[in-house]
Amino acid sequence: MRYLARRLLWTLAALVGVSLLIFVLVRLIPGTIVEVTTGIEGQLSPQQRLDLLRSFGLDRPLPVQYALWLWNMLQGNFGWSFRTAQPVAGLLVSRLPITVELAVLTVICVTLIGLPLGVAASITRSVRLKTFVQVIGLVGLSVPNFWASIVLIIVASFAFHWFPALIFVTPWQDLPVNLEQMFLPVMSLALGLAAVVLRMTRSSMLEVLGQDYVRVAQAKGLSGSIVLLRHALRNALIPIVTVLGLQMGTLLGGVVITEQIFGLPGLGWTLLNGVYQRDYPVVQGAVMLFAVLFVLTNLFVDLTYTYLDPRIRYQ
Amino acid sequence: MSGVEAELRDAPRPSAWPVRRPGYRRFARRSPVTVIGAGLVLAVVLVALVAQIIAPYGPNSQDAQPLLRPDHRHLAGTDELGRDELSRLIYGARVSLYVGGLAVSIALACGATSGVLAGFYGGWVDNVTMRIMDVLFSFPAIVLAIAITSILRPSLTNAMIAIGIVYAPIFARIARGPTLAVVTLAYIEAARAVGLPNWKIMLRHVVPNVSAPLIVQTTVSLSTAILTEAALSFLGLGTQPPTASWGLMLSAARQYMLLDPWIAVLPGAAIALTVLGFNLLGDGLRDLLDPRIRTL
Repeated sequence: MRYLARRLLWTLAALVGVSLLIFVLVRLIPGTIVEVTTGIEGQLSPQQRLDLLRSFGLDRPLPVQYALWLWNMLQGNFGWSFRTAQPVAGLLVSRLPITVELAVLTVICVTLIGLPLGVAASITRSVRLKTFVQVIGLVGLSVPNFWASIVLIIVASFAFHWFPALIFVTPWQDLPVNLEQMFLPVMSLALGLAAVVLRMTRSSMLEVLGQDYVRVAQAKGLSGSIVLLRHALRNALIPIVTVLGLQMGTLLGGVVITEQIFGLPGLGWTLLNGVYQRDYPVVQGAVMLFAVLFVLTNLFVDLTYTYLDPRIRYQ
Repeated sequence: MSGVEAELRDAPRPSAWPVRRPGYRRFARRSPVTVIGAGLVLAVVLVALVAQIIAPYGPNSQDAQPLLRPDHRHLAGTDELGRDELSRLIYGARVSLYVGGLAVSIALACGATSGVLAGFYGGWVDNVTMRIMDVLFSFPAIVLAIAITSILRPSLTNAMIAIGIVYAPIFARIARGPTLAVVTLAYIEAARAVGLPNWKIMLRHVVPNVSAPLIVQTTVSLSTAILTEAALSFLGLGTQPPTASWGLMLSAARQYMLLDPWIAVLPGAAIALTVLGFNLLGDGLRDLLDPRIRTL
């Protein structure tokens, strides 16, 4: 409990740091919001300029601006988009489910591919399977996910006459269509992560399988699968969860590119469009949300340790 | 292996002591994968160095039909503007290595320096530095790089700076650990007692202790930096046209990928092979220099 409180406090501190960094980064943009929005053509009298600055709160000292911005964000006010004048918070919230769905499906897929293959590679005597798994591991690590997406689209269109959909369908509208749309993006993201999980599973399993308690379990006559799952895999899981947690940054980064390629209007897509249109409130909000997601997943990974290994009781 | 060496190796040994082969060669034999990695890296570096000599056309000369299929005149076909794809792939190696190399240098210089300083001085220096690094660690790498490039305006140099900043914290953490372990040792105290200035102690007695993990991380980071450059250029936030960059070529080819799959597949293959080379080399170097670290 003490640990949990401290870990939460730590997370909060990191997020405050993140918000400070984003605030500073946005102030580094040459020109104020007024110049960015009105452009060079905008002919404003000094009085109009001052009024505009005041309406954005830009006439106040920086620390006050930061405090106000943070306070507004805590109340769910992320500012307004320069382009559409809509509240950024609403925009981001409407995009979030797509990104979360993509990420969750990818993690499920990674687990379903990486774990069984890794376990198989650790117990098999077949050289062919071992080589296959090793090659998959290396290729997966080196192939950029945007290239994987392109190759998947080419293969799908030539072999199966399948093309990426133009309009996104939510799972509430039509689940089968939605899952079909998600299939290729998820595969392109899962390839690299599955490689990492697979390699870690293999080496972690090999280590655990050499332990005495595994031999004891085998000696007392437990069936092979029970030894494998309950004695070996469960103990091998901690380093696997650790690398999976470390890869969350790669996953969230990959989501940005994948959403762009497949035209999935998620958080990453919103971020990139904000960047292309110089819509800084949207960029600022999306980056902040990505950091929050990342920090929270890390927190979640840390907390699963105590579940996986009850011996870990953080002091 | 030359004949003389083979003779020496096979000659009967005079005593019970085994003749020791040079460590590197034994290592190379035991881990052929590392040799393949080194070969790939060497090949890419070589191609980048002699690009002018081996490229059949200039990277930006438009002297053919657009989107030609590969033939004897254009071994990899031409791109959407009629530029020779092979020549652009060759020149692209230059951009990748240049941006990746300089970005990692920035990360190494900033990260390792702050890590060593943090570990050496401890106290508030350590606290402040590592908290800054924690904040940088709280972003998914690409997202932070996108944010930085979008604010500095997209360009090759700014992509380099962004990648450098994003990867600096890893180096800081890696440099700090061994520094913390070393500063308590007697020979550092001795160096202090002799009156050596701090910077000299760090340079002569601390840095050699952190160099092995840093070398490994540099190799691994080169692969991620090249990937990140490609990703940023792919998104239009890195290298700008008409410079030949693999990520940029891939992004341009995206519109024509169903018409002409070649130009969409080849730049990605170039990226993948380069990254694979650095990954294999990094894995091997880790085994060689730092056997305590368990390989992933």
